[in-house]
Amino acid sequence: MRQILKMVLVLTVLGLVSGLILSLVSNYATPIINENNREAIKEAVFYVLPNTEDYEVKTIEGKEVYVTRDSEGQVNGYGFTASGSGYQGTIELMVGVKPDFKEIQGIQILESSETPGLGGKIRGDNFKNQFRDKDASSGVSLVKSAPTEPGEIEAITGATISSQAVVDIINKGLEHVKNLMEAGGG
Amino acid sequence: MELFFIFVAIVLTQNFVLHYFLGICPFLGVSDEMEAAFGMGIATTFVMTLTAIITWNINNFILEGFGVEFLEYVSFILVIASLVQLVEMFLKKYVPELYQTLGIYLPLITTNCAVMGLALFMVLRDYNFVQSAIFGFGAGVGFTLALIIMAGIRSELMEDAIPEPFRGTGITLLTAGLLALAFMGFSGLVPV
Amino acid sequence: MLTDFIKGIWKENPVFVQVLGMCPTLAVTTSLINGLSMGLATTFVLVASGLAISALRKVIPDQVRIASFMIIIASFVTVVKLLFEAHIPTISTQLGPYLPLIVTNCIILGRQEAFASKEPVSRSLMDALGMGLGFAFALVVLGSVRELFYQGTIADVEILGSWYKSMIIMVQPAGAFISLSILVALFKKISSRG
Repeated sequence: MRQILKMVLVLTVLGLVSGLILSLVSNYATPIINENNREAIKEAVFYVLPNTEDYEVKTIEGKEVYVTRDSEGQVNGYGFTASGSGYQGTIELMVGVKPDFKEIQGIQILESSETPGLGGKIRGDNFKNQFRDKDASSGVSLVKSAPTEPGEIEAITGATISSQAVVDIINKGLEHVKNLMEAGGG
Repeated sequence: MELFFIFVAIVLTQNFVLHYFLGICPFLGVSDEMEAAFGMGIATTFVMTLTAIITWNINNFILEGFGVEFLEYVSFILVIASLVQLVEMFLKKYVPELYQTLGIYLPLITTNCAVMGLALFMVLRDYNFVQSAIFGFGAGVGFTLALIIMAGIRSELMEDAIPEPFRGTGITLLTAGLLALAFMGFSGLVPV
Repeated sequence: MLTDFIKGIWKENPVFVQVLGMCPTLAVTTSLINGLSMGLATTFVLVASGLAISALRKVIPDQVRIASFMIIIASFVTVVKLLFEAHIPTISTQLGPYLPLIVTNCIILGRQEAFASKEPVSRSLMDALGMGLGFAFALVVLGSVRELFYQGTIADVEILGSWYKSMIIMVQPAGAFISLSILVALFKKISSRG
Protein backbone atom coordinates (compact mmCIF):
# COMPACT_ATOMS: atom_id res chain seq x y z
CA MET A 1 0.00 0.00 0.00
CA ARG A 2 2.72 2.48 0.98
CA GLN A 3 4.54 1.48 -2.16
CA ILE A 4 1.58 2.38 -4.36
CA LEU A 5 1.08 5.64 -2.51
CA LYS A 6 4.69 6.56 -3.12
CA MET A 7 4.38 5.74 -6.82
CA VAL A 8 1.31 7.90 -7.22
CA LEU A 9 2.86 10.70 -5.19
CA VAL A 10 6.12 10.77 -7.17
CA LEU A 11 4.35 10.76 -10.53
CA THR A 12 1.91 13.47 -9.46
CA VAL A 13 4.64 15.72 -8.12
CA LEU A 14 6.74 15.18 -11.24
CA GLY A 15 3.78 15.98 -13.45
CA LEU A 16 2.94 19.13 -11.48
CA VAL A 17 6.52 20.40 -11.44
CA SER A 18 6.89 19.69 -15.15
CA GLY A 19 3.61 21.43 -15.95
CA LEU A 20 4.59 24.44 -13.87
CA ILE A 21 8.03 24.81 -15.45
CA LEU A 22 6.66 24.34 -18.95
CA SER A 23 3.91 26.90 -18.49
CA LEU A 24 6.51 29.41 -17.28
CA VAL A 25 8.81 28.75 -20.25
CA SER A 26 5.85 28.85 -22.60
CA ASN A 27 4.70 32.18 -21.17
CA TYR A 28 8.15 33.54 -21.82
CA ALA A 29 8.57 32.07 -25.32
CA THR A 30 5.11 32.41 -26.86
CA PRO A 31 5.13 36.21 -27.29
CA ILE A 32 8.56 36.01 -28.94
CA ILE A 33 7.39 33.18 -31.23
CA ASN A 34 4.29 35.15 -32.25
CA GLU A 35 6.46 38.18 -32.90
CA ASN A 36 8.76 36.05 -35.07
CA ASN A 37 5.81 34.84 -37.09
CA ARG A 38 4.49 38.37 -37.54
CA GLU A 39 7.96 39.48 -38.64
CA ALA A 40 8.10 36.65 -41.19
CA ILE A 41 4.70 37.63 -42.62
CA LYS A 42 5.72 41.29 -42.69
CA GLU A 43 8.93 40.53 -44.53
CA ALA A 44 7.05 38.42 -47.07
CA VAL A 45 4.40 41.11 -47.66
CA PHE A 46 7.05 43.73 -48.35
CA TYR A 47 8.85 41.28 -50.63
CA VAL A 48 5.83 40.43 -52.78
CA LEU A 49 4.53 44.01 -52.97
CA PRO A 50 7.71 46.06 -53.40
CA ASN A 51 6.37 49.63 -53.38
CA THR A 52 4.65 49.16 -50.06
CA GLU A 53 4.98 51.73 -47.31
CA ASP A 54 2.64 50.15 -44.80
CA TYR A 55 -0.12 47.57 -44.61
CA GLU A 56 -3.12 46.61 -42.53
CA VAL A 57 -4.53 43.19 -41.83
CA LYS A 58 -8.11 42.65 -42.91
CA THR A 59 -9.82 39.46 -41.82
CA ILE A 60 -12.68 38.24 -44.00
CA GLU A 61 -14.36 34.98 -43.07
CA GLY A 62 -11.29 33.95 -41.13
CA LYS A 63 -8.89 34.63 -44.01
CA GLU A 64 -6.26 37.28 -43.43
CA VAL A 65 -5.67 39.67 -46.32
CA TYR A 66 -2.84 42.18 -46.10
CA VAL A 67 -4.00 45.44 -47.67
CA THR A 68 -0.92 47.42 -48.63
CA ARG A 69 -0.53 51.13 -49.26
CA ASP A 70 2.21 53.02 -51.11
CA SER A 71 3.97 56.16 -49.89
CA GLU A 72 1.02 58.32 -50.95
CA GLY A 73 -1.42 56.30 -48.91
CA GLN A 74 -3.06 54.71 -51.95
CA VAL A 75 -4.02 51.04 -51.75
CA ASN A 76 -1.52 49.43 -54.10
CA GLY A 77 -2.19 45.77 -53.58
CA TYR A 78 -3.33 42.79 -51.56
CA GLY A 79 -1.10 40.16 -50.03
CA PHE A 80 -2.40 36.80 -48.91
CA THR A 81 -1.12 33.34 -48.05
CA ALA A 82 -2.17 30.29 -50.04
CA SER A 83 -1.20 26.67 -49.65
CA GLY A 84 -1.66 23.32 -51.34
CA SER A 85 0.03 19.99 -52.04
CA GLY A 86 3.38 19.89 -53.77
CA TYR A 87 5.44 16.89 -54.75
CA GLN A 88 6.71 16.11 -51.25
CA GLY A 89 4.40 17.97 -48.92
CA THR A 90 2.55 21.19 -48.36
CA ILE A 91 3.70 24.32 -50.13
CA GLU A 92 2.72 27.63 -48.58
CA LEU A 93 3.07 30.86 -50.51
CA MET A 94 2.63 34.56 -49.96
CA VAL A 95 1.10 36.13 -53.06
CA GLY A 96 1.00 39.84 -53.82
CA VAL A 97 -1.51 41.11 -56.35
CA LYS A 98 -2.73 44.47 -57.63
CA PRO A 99 -6.09 45.63 -56.22
CA ASP A 100 -7.88 44.73 -59.48
CA PHE A 101 -6.56 41.13 -59.22
CA LYS A 102 -5.31 41.40 -62.82
CA GLU A 103 -1.58 41.47 -62.18
CA ILE A 104 0.54 39.48 -59.75
CA GLN A 105 3.22 41.65 -58.14
CA GLY A 106 5.33 38.87 -56.72
CA ILE A 107 5.34 35.63 -54.75
CA GLN A 108 7.36 34.27 -51.87
CA ILE A 109 7.68 30.67 -50.64
CA LEU A 110 6.87 30.51 -46.95
CA GLU A 111 7.04 26.77 -46.55
CA SER A 112 8.02 23.90 -48.81
CA SER A 113 9.65 20.53 -48.42
CA GLU A 114 10.21 19.94 -52.14
CA THR A 115 13.27 17.90 -53.13
CA PRO A 116 16.36 20.09 -52.71
CA GLY A 117 18.00 20.72 -56.07
CA LEU A 118 14.86 19.87 -58.04
CA GLY A 119 11.47 21.05 -56.81
CA GLY A 120 13.35 23.00 -54.14
CA LYS A 121 14.29 25.43 -56.91
CA ILE A 122 10.85 27.03 -56.57
CA ARG A 123 12.58 28.96 -53.78
CA GLY A 124 15.13 30.28 -56.26
CA ASP A 125 14.98 33.81 -57.68
CA ASN A 126 14.92 32.47 -61.25
CA PHE A 127 11.55 30.92 -60.63
CA LYS A 128 10.05 33.47 -58.26
CA ASN A 129 10.99 36.45 -60.42
CA GLN A 130 8.91 35.06 -63.25
CA PHE A 131 5.89 36.15 -61.23
CA ARG A 132 6.98 39.79 -60.91
CA ASP A 133 4.37 42.02 -62.60
CA LYS A 134 2.80 39.00 -64.22
CA ASP A 135 -0.46 39.36 -66.07
CA ALA A 136 -3.04 37.22 -64.30
CA SER A 137 -6.29 38.50 -65.77
CA SER A 138 -7.15 34.89 -66.57
CA GLY A 139 -4.84 33.27 -64.02
CA VAL A 140 -1.32 32.01 -64.69
CA SER A 141 -0.50 28.87 -66.65
CA LEU A 142 2.53 26.62 -66.87
CA VAL A 143 4.50 25.95 -70.05
CA LYS A 144 7.59 23.81 -70.57
CA SER A 145 9.48 26.21 -72.84
CA ALA A 146 10.12 29.96 -72.80
CA PRO A 147 6.79 31.77 -72.32
CA THR A 148 5.27 33.43 -75.37
CA GLU A 149 1.86 34.54 -74.07
CA PRO A 150 1.20 36.85 -71.09
CA GLY A 151 0.44 34.90 -67.95
CA GLU A 152 2.70 32.01 -68.84
CA ILE A 153 5.30 30.65 -66.44
CA GLU A 154 8.16 28.40 -67.49
CA ALA A 155 8.37 25.17 -65.49
CA ILE A 156 11.60 24.22 -63.71
CA THR A 157 13.35 21.46 -65.65
CA GLY A 158 12.83 18.15 -63.87
CA ALA A 159 10.31 19.60 -61.46
CA THR A 160 7.12 20.02 -63.44
CA ILE A 161 4.93 18.75 -60.60
CA SER A 162 6.31 21.28 -58.11
CA SER A 163 6.04 24.11 -60.64
CA GLN A 164 2.49 23.11 -61.52
CA ALA A 165 1.62 22.96 -57.81
CA VAL A 166 2.79 26.56 -57.31
CA VAL A 167 0.77 27.75 -60.30
CA ASP A 168 -2.34 25.90 -59.12
CA ILE A 169 -2.02 27.22 -55.59
CA ILE A 170 -1.73 30.78 -56.91
CA ASN A 171 -4.75 30.46 -59.21
CA LYS A 172 -6.88 28.95 -56.50
CA GLY A 173 -5.78 31.57 -53.98
CA LEU A 174 -6.43 34.43 -56.40
CA GLU A 175 -9.93 33.18 -57.10
CA HIS A 176 -10.68 32.65 -53.41
CA VAL A 177 -9.41 36.01 -52.18
CA LYS A 178 -10.97 37.88 -55.11
CA ASN A 179 -14.39 36.49 -54.19
CA LEU A 180 -13.83 37.29 -50.52
CA MET A 181 -12.85 40.87 -51.26
CA GLU A 182 -15.82 41.39 -53.54
CA ALA A 183 -18.18 39.93 -51.00
CA GLY A 184 -16.51 41.75 -48.13
CA GLY A 185 -16.91 45.10 -49.86
CA GLY A 186 -13.32 45.34 -51.12
CA MET B 1 -10.42 9.08 -52.48
CA GLU B 2 -8.50 11.50 -50.30
CA LEU B 3 -8.30 8.89 -47.55
CA PHE B 4 -6.95 6.40 -50.06
CA PHE B 5 -4.27 8.92 -51.06
CA ILE B 6 -3.24 9.40 -47.45
CA PHE B 7 -2.91 5.66 -47.08
CA VAL B 8 -0.90 5.07 -50.26
CA ALA B 9 1.33 8.07 -49.55
CA ILE B 10 2.28 6.90 -46.10
CA VAL B 11 2.86 3.29 -47.15
CA LEU B 12 4.78 3.90 -50.37
CA THR B 13 5.81 7.43 -51.29
CA GLN B 14 6.45 8.76 -47.80
CA ASN B 15 7.24 5.53 -46.05
CA PHE B 16 8.03 6.29 -42.41
CA VAL B 17 11.23 4.26 -42.39
CA LEU B 18 12.63 4.95 -45.83
CA HIS B 19 11.51 8.53 -46.29
CA TYR B 20 11.23 10.08 -42.83
CA PHE B 21 13.80 7.86 -41.09
CA LEU B 22 11.35 7.06 -38.32
CA GLY B 23 11.65 3.75 -36.52
CA ILE B 24 15.16 3.05 -37.71
CA CYS B 25 16.26 1.44 -34.45
CA PRO B 26 13.84 -1.51 -34.63
CA PHE B 27 14.31 -1.51 -38.39
CA LEU B 28 18.00 -2.25 -37.94
CA GLY B 29 17.52 -4.33 -34.80
CA VAL B 30 14.85 -6.88 -35.61
CA SER B 31 15.08 -7.15 -39.37
CA ASP B 32 17.48 -10.09 -39.32
CA GLU B 33 14.74 -12.67 -39.03
CA MET B 34 11.50 -12.82 -40.97
CA GLU B 35 9.29 -14.02 -38.14
CA ALA B 36 10.54 -11.40 -35.69
CA ALA B 37 10.14 -8.68 -38.32
CA PHE B 38 6.56 -9.68 -38.94
CA GLY B 39 5.74 -9.81 -35.23
CA MET B 40 7.28 -6.42 -34.59
CA GLY B 41 5.43 -4.99 -37.58
CA ILE B 42 2.04 -6.22 -36.45
CA ALA B 43 2.56 -5.11 -32.85
CA THR B 44 3.69 -1.66 -33.99
CA THR B 45 0.81 -1.26 -36.45
CA PHE B 46 -1.60 -2.07 -33.64
CA VAL B 47 -0.07 0.46 -31.25
CA MET B 48 0.21 3.09 -33.98
CA THR B 49 -3.46 2.87 -34.95
CA LEU B 50 -4.51 3.20 -31.31
CA THR B 51 -2.04 6.03 -30.74
CA ALA B 52 -3.45 7.96 -33.68
CA ILE B 53 -6.98 7.58 -32.37
CA ILE B 54 -6.17 8.56 -28.79
CA THR B 55 -3.68 11.37 -29.37
CA TRP B 56 -6.06 12.98 -31.85
CA ASN B 57 -8.68 13.25 -29.14
CA ILE B 58 -6.20 14.46 -26.56
CA ASN B 59 -4.83 17.09 -28.87
CA ASN B 60 -8.21 18.37 -29.99
CA PHE B 61 -10.18 18.28 -26.81
CA ILE B 62 -7.64 18.68 -24.05
CA LEU B 63 -4.52 20.40 -25.36
CA GLU B 64 -6.21 22.83 -27.75
CA GLY B 65 -9.36 23.00 -25.68
CA PHE B 66 -7.52 24.31 -22.64
CA GLY B 67 -4.77 26.10 -24.54
CA VAL B 68 -2.00 23.99 -23.03
CA GLU B 69 -0.25 22.99 -26.26
CA PHE B 70 3.07 23.13 -24.47
CA LEU B 71 2.19 19.85 -22.77
CA GLU B 72 1.99 18.15 -26.19
CA TYR B 73 5.18 16.12 -25.99
CA VAL B 74 4.78 15.12 -22.35
CA SER B 75 1.21 13.94 -22.81
CA PHE B 76 1.87 12.14 -26.11
CA ILE B 77 4.78 10.15 -24.77
CA LEU B 78 2.80 9.21 -21.66
CA VAL B 79 -0.11 8.05 -23.81
CA ILE B 80 2.22 5.90 -25.90
CA ALA B 81 3.98 4.44 -22.87
CA SER B 82 0.71 3.60 -21.09
CA LEU B 83 -0.83 2.26 -24.28
CA VAL B 84 2.06 -0.13 -24.79
CA GLN B 85 1.72 -1.24 -21.19
CA LEU B 86 -2.04 -1.76 -21.53
CA VAL B 87 -1.70 -3.72 -24.74
CA GLU B 88 0.92 -5.86 -23.07
CA MET B 89 -1.27 -6.58 -20.04
CA PHE B 90 -4.35 -7.24 -22.17
CA LEU B 91 -2.56 -9.69 -24.43
CA LYS B 92 -0.91 -11.46 -21.52
CA LYS B 93 -4.24 -12.05 -19.85
CA TYR B 94 -6.63 -12.70 -22.74
CA VAL B 95 -4.59 -13.77 -25.76
CA PRO B 96 -1.58 -15.55 -24.28
CA GLU B 97 -0.67 -17.21 -27.62
CA LEU B 98 -0.32 -13.81 -29.29
CA TYR B 99 1.55 -12.50 -26.27
CA GLN B 100 4.06 -15.32 -26.67
CA THR B 101 4.91 -14.09 -30.16
CA LEU B 102 4.62 -10.32 -29.73
CA GLY B 103 5.47 -9.90 -26.05
CA ILE B 104 9.16 -9.27 -26.39
CA TYR B 105 8.69 -6.52 -28.98
CA LEU B 106 6.12 -4.52 -27.08
CA PRO B 107 8.38 -2.67 -24.59
CA LEU B 108 10.61 -1.59 -27.49
CA ILE B 109 7.73 0.26 -29.11
CA THR B 110 7.70 3.09 -26.53
CA THR B 111 11.00 4.44 -27.81
CA ASN B 112 10.17 3.73 -31.43
CA CYS B 113 10.25 7.24 -32.81
CA ALA B 114 7.82 6.20 -35.54
CA VAL B 115 4.99 6.12 -32.99
CA MET B 116 5.80 9.51 -31.50
CA GLY B 117 6.53 10.85 -34.99
CA LEU B 118 3.11 9.71 -36.11
CA ALA B 119 1.43 11.74 -33.38
CA LEU B 120 3.50 14.82 -34.21
CA PHE B 121 2.93 14.61 -37.97
CA MET B 122 -0.80 14.23 -37.43
CA VAL B 123 -0.93 17.48 -35.48
CA LEU B 124 1.33 19.30 -37.95
CA ARG B 125 -0.85 18.27 -40.87
CA ASP B 126 -4.12 19.18 -39.17
CA TYR B 127 -5.70 15.83 -39.96
CA ASN B 128 -9.27 15.21 -38.89
CA PHE B 129 -10.24 12.14 -36.89
CA VAL B 130 -10.79 9.69 -39.77
CA GLN B 131 -7.71 10.91 -41.62
CA SER B 132 -5.64 10.45 -38.48
CA ALA B 133 -6.84 6.90 -37.96
CA ILE B 134 -6.05 5.99 -41.58
CA PHE B 135 -2.70 7.74 -41.30
CA GLY B 136 -1.84 5.79 -38.15
CA PHE B 137 -2.81 2.46 -39.65
CA GLY B 138 -1.02 3.25 -42.93
CA ALA B 139 2.14 4.29 -41.12
CA GLY B 140 2.12 0.91 -39.37
CA VAL B 141 1.58 -0.97 -42.61
CA GLY B 142 4.42 0.97 -44.24
CA PHE B 143 6.69 0.21 -41.31
CA THR B 144 5.82 -3.50 -41.49
CA LEU B 145 6.41 -3.52 -45.24
CA ALA B 146 9.87 -1.96 -44.91
CA LEU B 147 10.74 -4.36 -42.10
CA ILE B 148 9.66 -7.45 -44.03
CA ILE B 149 11.45 -6.47 -47.24
CA MET B 150 14.58 -5.80 -45.23
CA ALA B 151 14.34 -9.11 -43.39
CA GLY B 152 13.97 -10.92 -46.72
CA ILE B 153 17.06 -9.27 -48.14
CA ARG B 154 19.11 -9.79 -45.00
CA SER B 155 18.39 -13.50 -44.87
CA GLU B 156 19.89 -13.75 -48.37
CA LEU B 157 22.88 -11.67 -47.32
CA MET B 158 23.78 -14.06 -44.48
CA GLU B 159 25.45 -16.43 -46.91
CA ASP B 160 27.50 -13.80 -48.71
CA ALA B 161 31.10 -12.83 -48.18
CA ILE B 162 30.80 -9.25 -46.99
CA PRO B 163 33.99 -7.24 -46.29
CA GLU B 164 34.64 -7.22 -42.56
CA PRO B 165 34.01 -3.49 -41.79
CA PHE B 166 30.64 -3.62 -43.54
CA ARG B 167 29.33 -6.65 -41.64
CA GLY B 168 26.31 -5.98 -39.47
CA THR B 169 25.29 -2.33 -39.42
CA GLY B 170 27.21 -1.23 -42.51
CA ILE B 171 25.63 -3.60 -44.97
CA THR B 172 22.17 -3.12 -43.44
CA LEU B 173 22.38 0.65 -43.87
CA LEU B 174 23.67 0.22 -47.40
CA THR B 175 20.75 -2.07 -48.22
CA ALA B 176 18.37 0.44 -46.68
CA GLY B 177 19.89 3.09 -48.93
CA LEU B 178 19.20 1.00 -52.01
CA LEU B 179 15.66 0.31 -50.78
CA ALA B 180 15.09 4.03 -50.26
CA LEU B 181 16.34 4.56 -53.81
CA ALA B 182 13.87 1.98 -55.08
CA PHE B 183 11.02 3.54 -53.10
CA MET B 184 11.82 6.90 -54.70
CA GLY B 185 10.30 5.39 -57.81
CA PHE B 186 6.92 5.69 -56.10
CA SER B 187 7.22 9.41 -55.49
CA GLY B 188 4.69 11.52 -57.31
CA LEU B 189 2.33 8.54 -57.42
CA VAL B 190 -0.30 10.32 -55.37
CA PRO B 191 -0.74 13.98 -54.43
CA VAL B 192 0.29 14.63 -50.86
CA MET C 1 35.58 10.54 -14.17
CA LEU C 2 37.49 11.34 -17.32
CA THR C 3 36.88 7.89 -18.74
CA ASP C 4 33.14 8.42 -18.25
CA PHE C 5 33.49 11.41 -20.52
CA ILE C 6 35.88 10.05 -23.15
CA LYS C 7 34.16 6.72 -23.81
CA GLY C 8 31.08 8.41 -25.29
CA ILE C 9 33.08 10.26 -27.87
CA TRP C 10 35.08 7.40 -29.32
CA LYS C 11 35.00 3.89 -27.88
CA GLU C 12 31.26 3.80 -27.20
CA ASN C 13 30.24 6.46 -29.71
CA PRO C 14 26.43 6.33 -29.70
CA VAL C 15 26.08 6.54 -33.48
CA PHE C 16 29.09 4.79 -34.97
CA VAL C 17 29.48 2.03 -32.38
CA GLN C 18 26.18 1.60 -30.54
CA VAL C 19 24.05 2.51 -33.60
CA LEU C 20 21.50 4.41 -31.49
CA GLY C 21 19.54 7.56 -32.23
CA MET C 22 19.41 6.78 -35.92
CA CYS C 23 16.30 8.80 -36.79
CA PRO C 24 17.74 12.27 -36.17
CA THR C 25 21.17 11.14 -37.33
CA LEU C 26 19.84 10.33 -40.78
CA ALA C 27 17.09 12.90 -41.03
CA VAL C 28 18.68 16.23 -40.18
CA THR C 29 22.24 15.83 -41.42
CA THR C 30 21.72 17.51 -44.78
CA SER C 31 24.24 20.15 -43.72
CA LEU C 32 26.86 20.72 -41.05
CA ILE C 33 24.88 23.42 -39.30
CA ASN C 34 21.75 21.28 -39.00
CA GLY C 35 23.75 18.35 -37.64
CA LEU C 36 25.47 20.60 -35.12
CA SER C 37 22.24 22.20 -33.85
CA MET C 38 20.59 18.81 -33.45
CA GLY C 39 23.70 17.45 -31.70
CA LEU C 40 23.81 20.30 -29.23
CA ALA C 41 20.06 20.23 -28.56
CA THR C 42 20.31 16.51 -27.81
CA THR C 43 23.35 17.07 -25.59
CA PHE C 44 21.41 19.64 -23.59
CA VAL C 45 18.46 17.29 -23.04
CA LEU C 46 20.81 14.42 -22.21
CA VAL C 47 22.75 16.45 -19.63
CA ALA C 48 19.72 18.14 -18.07
CA SER C 49 17.66 14.97 -17.72
CA GLY C 50 20.75 13.02 -16.63
CA LEU C 51 21.32 15.49 -13.80
CA ALA C 52 17.67 15.51 -12.75
CA ILE C 53 17.32 11.75 -12.82
CA SER C 54 20.61 11.11 -11.08
CA ALA C 55 19.62 13.55 -8.34
CA LEU C 56 16.20 11.93 -7.96
CA ARG C 57 17.40 8.36 -8.32
CA LYS C 58 16.65 7.45 -4.72
CA VAL C 59 13.19 9.02 -4.73
CA ILE C 60 11.77 7.48 -7.90
CA PRO C 61 10.23 4.05 -7.26
CA ASP C 62 11.49 1.34 -9.57
CA GLN C 63 8.07 0.40 -10.96
CA VAL C 64 7.33 3.85 -12.35
CA ARG C 65 10.86 4.80 -13.34
CA ILE C 66 10.30 4.66 -17.11
CA ALA C 67 7.21 6.87 -16.86
CA SER C 68 9.08 9.29 -14.61
CA PHE C 69 12.06 9.39 -16.98
CA MET C 70 9.74 10.06 -19.90
CA ILE C 71 8.07 13.00 -18.11
CA ILE C 72 11.44 14.52 -17.27
CA ILE C 73 12.88 14.01 -20.75
CA ALA C 74 9.77 15.26 -22.54
CA SER C 75 9.72 18.38 -20.35
CA PHE C 76 13.28 19.29 -21.22
CA VAL C 77 12.61 18.65 -24.89
CA THR C 78 9.64 21.02 -24.76
CA VAL C 79 11.87 23.66 -23.17
CA VAL C 80 14.45 23.25 -25.96
CA LYS C 81 11.77 23.38 -28.65
CA LEU C 82 10.22 26.57 -27.26
CA LEU C 83 13.58 28.29 -26.87
CA PHE C 84 14.69 27.27 -30.39
CA GLU C 85 11.43 28.54 -31.84
CA ALA C 86 11.77 31.83 -30.02
CA HIS C 87 15.44 32.55 -30.62
CA ILE C 88 16.61 30.61 -33.67
CA PRO C 89 13.39 30.15 -35.69
CA THR C 90 15.14 29.27 -38.96
CA ILE C 91 16.92 26.29 -37.41
CA SER C 92 13.75 25.28 -35.62
CA THR C 93 11.93 25.17 -38.98
CA GLN C 94 14.77 23.25 -40.61
CA LEU C 95 14.74 20.56 -37.93
CA GLY C 96 10.93 20.43 -37.99
CA PRO C 97 9.37 17.49 -36.15
CA TYR C 98 12.77 15.92 -35.54
CA LEU C 99 13.45 18.39 -32.75
CA PRO C 100 10.55 17.14 -30.58
CA LEU C 101 11.48 13.60 -31.58
CA ILE C 102 14.51 13.91 -29.28
CA VAL C 103 12.00 12.56 -26.73
CA THR C 104 12.19 9.12 -28.28
CA ASN C 105 15.90 9.21 -29.05
CA CYS C 106 16.99 5.85 -27.69
CA ILE C 107 20.33 7.30 -26.55
CA ILE C 108 18.62 9.45 -23.95
CA LEU C 109 16.41 6.85 -22.32
CA GLY C 110 19.24 4.34 -22.70
CA ARG C 111 21.73 6.48 -20.75
CA GLN C 112 19.17 7.07 -17.97
CA GLU C 113 18.58 3.35 -17.62
CA ALA C 114 22.20 2.32 -17.90
CA PHE C 115 23.87 5.14 -16.05
CA ALA C 116 22.11 8.16 -14.53
CA SER C 117 19.60 6.15 -12.51
CA LYS C 118 22.44 4.26 -10.81
CA GLU C 119 25.37 6.66 -10.51
CA PRO C 120 25.99 9.90 -8.56
CA VAL C 121 25.35 13.28 -10.14
CA SER C 122 28.96 14.15 -11.01
CA ARG C 123 29.65 10.93 -12.91
CA SER C 124 26.29 11.13 -14.66
CA LEU C 125 27.15 14.62 -15.82
CA MET C 126 30.39 13.40 -17.36
CA ASP C 127 28.68 10.44 -18.98
CA ALA C 128 25.89 12.59 -20.43
CA LEU C 129 28.34 15.21 -21.72
CA GLY C 130 30.50 12.56 -23.36
CA MET C 131 27.59 10.75 -24.98
CA GLY C 132 25.99 14.01 -26.08
CA LEU C 133 29.16 15.38 -27.62
CA GLY C 134 29.92 12.00 -29.20
CA PHE C 135 26.48 12.14 -30.80
CA ALA C 136 27.03 15.74 -31.92
CA PHE C 137 30.43 14.76 -33.32
CA ALA C 138 28.88 11.98 -35.40
CA LEU C 139 26.15 14.30 -36.70
CA VAL C 140 28.67 16.97 -37.64
CA VAL C 141 30.82 14.47 -39.54
CA LEU C 142 27.84 13.04 -41.40
CA GLY C 143 26.42 16.52 -42.04
CA SER C 144 29.73 17.76 -43.46
CA VAL C 145 30.17 14.74 -45.71
CA ARG C 146 26.65 15.04 -47.10
CA GLU C 147 26.86 18.79 -47.57
CA LEU C 148 30.27 18.48 -49.24
CA PHE C 149 29.14 15.92 -51.78
CA TYR C 150 25.77 17.59 -52.30
CA GLN C 151 26.92 21.06 -53.27
CA GLY C 152 30.66 21.16 -52.66
CA THR C 153 30.47 23.25 -49.50
CA ILE C 154 31.00 22.74 -45.77
CA ALA C 155 29.08 25.14 -43.51
CA ASP C 156 28.28 27.10 -46.71
CA VAL C 157 31.99 27.69 -47.40
CA GLU C 158 32.94 26.59 -50.89
CA ILE C 159 35.42 23.71 -50.80
CA LEU C 160 35.25 21.97 -54.11
CA GLY C 161 34.99 25.00 -56.39
CA SER C 162 32.45 25.92 -58.99
CA TRP C 163 33.22 23.00 -61.32
CA TYR C 164 31.46 20.67 -58.89
CA LYS C 165 28.03 19.66 -60.07
CA SER C 166 25.63 19.15 -57.18
CA MET C 167 24.68 15.60 -56.32
CA ILE C 168 21.03 15.70 -55.33
CA ILE C 169 20.97 12.14 -54.04
CA MET C 170 23.14 13.14 -51.07
CA VAL C 171 20.40 15.20 -49.44
CA GLN C 172 17.75 12.56 -50.10
CA PRO C 173 17.01 9.57 -47.88
CA ALA C 174 19.03 7.13 -49.99
CA GLY C 175 22.12 9.35 -49.73
CA ALA C 176 21.75 9.51 -45.97
CA PHE C 177 21.68 5.73 -45.57
CA ILE C 178 24.59 5.15 -47.94
CA SER C 179 26.81 7.87 -46.43
CA LEU C 180 26.21 6.61 -42.91
CA SER C 181 26.87 3.03 -44.00
CA ILE C 182 30.27 4.00 -45.37
CA LEU C 183 31.10 6.09 -42.29
CA VAL C 184 30.19 3.25 -39.92
CA ALA C 185 32.39 0.87 -41.89
CA LEU C 186 35.26 3.38 -41.92
CA PHE C 187 34.93 3.91 -38.19
CA LYS C 188 35.05 0.17 -37.59
CA LYS C 189 38.13 -0.16 -39.80
CA ILE C 190 40.00 2.67 -38.05
CA SER C 191 39.16 1.66 -34.49
CA SER C 192 39.90 -2.02 -35.05
CA ARG C 193 43.42 -1.04 -36.06
CA GLY C 194 44.14 1.17 -33.03
